[in-house]
Amino acid sequence: VKYMIMMFGSSAGMMETRSKEWILEMIEFMHQLDRDLTDAGELVSSEGLADGTQAKTVTFQKGTTVVTDGPFAESKESVIGFWIVDVESQARAVEIASRVVAFTHGPIEVRQVMDAPPEV
Amino acid sequence: VRTDARTEDLLRELAPQVLGRLVRRHGQFDACEDAVQEALLAAARQWPEQGVPDDPRSWLVTVASRRLVDLWRSESARQRREEVAAALDPLSPAQSSDQDDTLRLLFLCCHPSLSVSSQLALTLRAVGGLTTAEIARAFLVPETTMAQRISRAKQSIKAAGLTFALPVESERPDRLRVVLHVLYLVFNEGYTASSGAALHRSDLTNEAVRLARLLHQLVPQEAEAAALLALLLLTDARRASRTHADGSVVPLAEQRRDLWNKTQIDEGVALITRTLGTTRIGPYQLQAAIAAVHDEAPSDDETDWPQILALYEVLERVSPGPIVTLNRAVALARVDGPWAGLALLGTLDGDDRMAHTHRLDAVRAHLLELAGDPAAARESYLRAARATASLPEQRYLALHAARLH
Repeated sequence: VKYMIMMFGSSAGMMETRSKEWILEMIEFMHQLDRDLTDAGELVSSEGLADGTQAKTVTFQKGTTVVTDGPFAESKESVIGFWIVDVESQARAVEIASRVVAFTHGPIEVRQVMDAPPEV
Repeated sequence: VRTDARTEDLLRELAPQVLGRLVRRHGQFDACEDAVQEALLAAARQWPEQGVPDDPRSWLVTVASRRLVDLWRSESARQRREEVAAALDPLSPAQSSDQDDTLRLLFLCCHPSLSVSSQLALTLRAVGGLTTAEIARAFLVPETTMAQRISRAKQSIKAAGLTFALPVESERPDRLRVVLHVLYLVFNEGYTASSGAALHRSDLTNEAVRLARLLHQLVPQEAEAAALLALLLLTDARRASRTHADGSVVPLAEQRRDLWNKTQIDEGVALITRTLGTTRIGPYQLQAAIAAVHDEAPSDDETDWPQILALYEVLERVSPGPIVTLNRAVALARVDGPWAGLALLGTLDGDDRMAHTHRLDAVRAHLLELAGDPAAARESYLRAARATASLPEQRYLALHAARLH
């Protein structure tokens, strides 16, 4: 079963408050996680996203599309990266997410990718 | 399909020649290109087991021609009429050589009427002999996406009625400039992956160097083509020292120069030395000359910065642009101190062309740090880190900001 594990936060916020040592550890942690997921045969893809301050939001207002600067949510927290994993169960996807949260302390959302066959 | 390296090299070398012969004979670039790809795949399967035929080029031409006939047979009569109507004018075989064909193909794949992404993909496939799967992997997109991009590029060639002919003399400098730019972009795409975690994808840099070498052989009298090859060699020579094992960035000043590729440096320096001054100066000659000064310096401190600054001043006159000014500011800072560099950077503030790049802030941060203003340097590092789309670069910039906290 495929899951998308979405990491929320603000890379800018992280960069402004964390120490050099923490950033170095974080880099090593992310590399190790990718290696482990690859070795386990579970990693489909993973990407980091450019900072939310660079985002554009497109909405529909008064009958027309409107483009604004910044992420959709008002809060500073938006998606900063994601993994797509192919795992045995939701519990395993949650386990992976928990490992990340234990390190970053930022929130993560785990969502199933809709690729199940239709019921006959 | 995997094949041994020697067969692979031979196939890649023959690919544009075989395609050239087919296009000359039959005039349909898109169908011929498909047929040649199938012939290459057949060869990659058969040659390692059955041995390379005595005349590998003729073997490929024969197999590709047969595939072409099969393709035509499988199409309806109506489609065939349309294709024949849209066919390029075949040239008489006596008028051309394999060398000319390869050059024609390069000009065709890098035609200004195609989008840049089409130019890159088509050049790698038709001239480089890479498979769609290989190109897709190099650009980190799904194979079906790349197949569609190539197919649309071929349709554009057909729709625009482009011919398999060398550009007329009056258009040649402009057309050559596009070819050089495409090869430069292929290299850059591999050298600094524009997004994602991997900082370089060596397949693309190797391929760009190979194609630049091919182009230099085809037009040895063109100084800018020679200079592009020199520039790519002199830049690629530093590849091994550009990143740590974990993929993090190492700036030029801190690179281990004993890891630089001496053979590539010697070749690049010889090439640009031979080329400079033979004809009108151009941007690739100047960039190669600058790269040569860096590569020949035993250490960062012993770099001939006044010479680099002088070369950037000429480059700014020949080919002005904000990135050239930015680089000149770095050189100026090394010659006249960080404040001189910062003053020059100030002239780029408000330049719209710099609005979407992190590089102005990254350079400013570095110079502010050298000038002894850690608080302002930190702000600039953070702004640059927010704006970059490269993960290794974001981490590099964030680390520098954190260090100044």
